[in-house]
Amino acid sequence: MKKALVYDQQSCQLRVEGLPDLSAGQVGEELGILTGWTLRWAGRPELEGQRSHLEALIASVLPYARHLVSGLRRGFGEESGPIWIGPSDKGAGHSLRLVSGQSGSPSLKLELDDAELADLVRVLDQLRLDSRVKVPLAVPSPRPLRAGELIRRLPIQRRLAAPVGGVAVLALATALAVLLPPPPARQPSRPAAAPALTAPPAPPSPGQP
Amino acid sequence: MVQVSLPTPATAVPAAVATATLARSTGPTLPRRGLERLDLMLLCLEALDLNGGEALVWLSNSLGFGSRFPNRVELWKRRCHNPMRRACRRGDLEIDDAEALMRILCGMAERLYPMVRTLLSDAEPAELTAQRWELFEGRFTELLKERMNPRRSSVQKLLDPAEGAGERRYLVQSLALVAGAGGYERLRASLLDAAR
Repeated sequence: MKKALVYDQQSCQLRVEGLPDLSAGQVGEELGILTGWTLRWAGRPELEGQRSHLEALIASVLPYARHLVSGLRRGFGEESGPIWIGPSDKGAGHSLRLVSGQSGSPSLKLELDDAELADLVRVLDQLRLDSRVKVPLAVPSPRPLRAGELIRRLPIQRRLAAPVGGVAVLALATALAVLLPPPPARQPSRPAAAPALTAPPAPPSPGQP
Repeated sequence: MVQVSLPTPATAVPAAVATATLARSTGPTLPRRGLERLDLMLLCLEALDLNGGEALVWLSNSLGFGSRFPNRVELWKRRCHNPMRRACRRGDLEIDDAEALMRILCGMAERLYPMVRTLLSDAEPAELTAQRWELFEGRFTELLKERMNPRRSSVQKLLDPAEGAGERRYLVQSLALVAGAGGYERLRASLLDAAR
């Protein structure tokens, strides 16, 4: 008999269906074989897919959230893959793009606000931390970012300001140095005759001892 | 036939933070920026909850950190490692203390998640959201002026109504993303950014 686990948040509901893997000794509410999942959004089309799609969703959304906590807004997921998430072009929100596996079906783009993204992250967290889910889901472990990655937080203008400014100052200083007239060449002065400048030593006076 | 079951209380959201007995941790200490952000996020929670200071101590006890932070003073002493503070303590915050503070933050963010969510949602009436933000920012500014060194440029930026708005929203957004069962790992990783 199929079993379903449901994870609810205010704006979305994730429902995962599957069966316990009896060969692995799973019983009760445990889910060892995942047969499908659906994600319901309030006022949006329902999403559904297979295990690979769910893994792609987790592999895109959770790293995106992780990087947002570090202040880094960049897209995750392959451009040609089933799921891509990144900052919205329209403002401060987030774009979730889903490509259908069925031929002829257009891709779906959802615009999420911060609260909806947080709800999505929470249902995915609930799923991956649920001890009843025995399906090994490929979840990337959050790791600290290196300084080189963090610099992407700054806009390109600010990143380039210091090196461009330095180069400009150097060029200006060089130009000024070139424009300055060279100092006049001084003739090497010959040393004057030594006897004319030095007084002869005074002869000793006869009254002195 | 499909049998539906909801998450059991054992797997519901506070579970990861409820059993927060820390083993002796090893690893890098929090860098300066991590210390600042940890304290600022706790300050945000205090701004969201009028009785936030007491709630932090209560949560600390319920998570099993009663011996580490028996009262508000001990909690305050650890938070004073934030270089932005008026009364800043020198030296590194021990990683065990930092992890305990992170657990408390995640637990508190989980408790206040409905409130945090309403601040971030575009579905709420705009006028109501503006009033909520005004209330939150008023309290947050008061706490900043009371506890942080106003000569620091980062504090001045946070206090600036226009320039600090993005930073304040970023702090609230971070609270929403670190609340819940999996939030702790995200928070820990982000606070340790550039630490290695």
